Formats: sequence, C-alpha cells, structure tokens
Amino acid sequence: MNPLDAHTWLAEHGDYLFRVARRQLHSDEQAEDAVQETLLAALAARSRYAGDASVRTWLTGILKHKIVDLIRRNVREVGLPLDEDGDEAVDLLFKQDGHWVEPLRPWGNPHTELELSQLRQVLDECADRLKPVMAQVFSLREVAGLETEEICKELGITPTNCWVLLHRARLFMRQCLELNGFSRAGAA
Amino acid sequence: MKWMPTCREATELASRAADSRPSLAERLALRVHLAVCKNCTRFNRQLHEMRRLLRERPADDDRAGGLTPEARQRIESELKKKAVP
Repeated sequence: MNPLDAHTWLAEHGDYLFRVARRQLHSDEQAEDAVQETLLAALAARSRYAGDASVRTWLTGILKHKIVDLIRRNVREVGLPLDEDGDEAVDLLFKQDGHWVEPLRPWGNPHTELELSQLRQVLDECADRLKPVMAQVFSLREVAGLETEEICKELGITPTNCWVLLHRARLFMRQCLELNGFSRAGAA
Repeated sequence: MKWMPTCREATELASRAADSRPSLAERLALRVHLAVCKNCTRFNRQLHEMRRLLRERPADDDRAGGLTPEARQRIESELKKKAVP
C-alpha cells in the first residue's frame, strides 16, 4: 500500500482525524468538513511530506490549521455570544456579595481507564452544550493547548473578549460537570 | 482590587492565572483568598483537573466514534476528483 495514497489516509486515519476535529468543533458536519479539507490539502502538498514524521502526525498538523480556519469562519458568521446573556448566567452562580450561591462539591478520583473515559464523555457533552463560539474558543485553549494570545490573533477578537469567553466557559463547564455526576465519580 | 477579593473575583483571577501570569498583586490577592476559601480552592483545582483530562487523552479513546459511511463516501469521491492526473 502506498503510504502517500489519499485513500489509504482516509481508511487509516479518517476516524482519528474526525475525532480530533469533533472535539474542537463540536459539530459532526464541521468535523467532516475539516477531515475532507485536510485530506485535500495533504493531497496537494504531498510532495512536501518529508517522511520524518509519521503520516498521522503530518495529517494532524494540517488538520489543526483547518480547524482554526473553520472556527474563524464561525466567529465571522455567528459573531461572539452577546455579553449580556453570559453575564446573567454568571449572576446565577454568585450572590450579590460575590460569594458562591452553592458550595462546590469535590470531584472524585477516577482510577480505571473506564472511569476516565466516562468522565471525558461527560466533558465532551458539556462542551457541546456551550454556545458554539464559546465552545470552540474553550477547546482551542483547553484541548488544543493554544496560547490565548494566539487564539485572539487567529480569530481576530480582542484579548478581553477572548478572556471573558474562556472564563465563562470554565464556570459553565464546571457547573455542568457537577450537575452531571462528576462529583460522585470515584472516591471523595 | 481590594486586599481580599470576593469569590466571584477570585474565580476570575484563578482563570486568568490558568492562561497567563497575573501581576504580583493579583497573585497575592488570589493566594490570600484561596487560603481561607474552600470553594474557590476547589474551583481552582477543578480548572486544572479539567484541563488535564482534556489534554491527556489517549489517541484511541474512541467513544467519540468516527466518520459515518456516508461522510466517508463523500470524502472519498472528493479525493477521487482531485487525484486524477
């Protein structure tokens, strides 16, 4: 089998690329688009594949750029979530005097791979429930590990906006995880 | 910032610290608050725990599924269009 054959890439790495994209784009359709664009770009750039990285690593590198492209397009089309609705939701978590409304419950200590995998499943579901652009900014930071400066620059949003989105996403994620049984998993 | 931030402010500081290095005053304010607040200590710990779970993920953690046969076929035919010399 020719390692530089696009059909082989799809067969061997298609599902993997889809999963990576799905986690950051929070949409099946967009994740499929990202895989397609990645393979087409790889096909066009085939002669530049040096062979010193594995094909999967090379493809994943291209995919990362495609994901950012798609997110940038989303930000342009959908716009950022309005400031006000996010703020109201944060208001529900804190009292007027700035204290937490509800005490935070401790999270368990998952031990087995199965437990970890279940926790990640809940994490994915909670991230999918964030507003689309917020979910994507959150994943660029927390999943892909991009620096916030990079995210602002790539998406053309101000550092303040970026930071507010991230902070709200974290507050909602934590809340969602607690509501979905994160705190009961494993031991105290 | 007052010498003792509220929980709401402390979560903002904890979040900022997870992205960049806050100023000395901000770091001190956060540390003072965390020293006396169990909830925010938990919040801070959970932020990092969440990040660890999301980043340290085995490549074959495949509960997220994969491409549907339809998507695979669609991509396949797009590739075919381009591959013809």
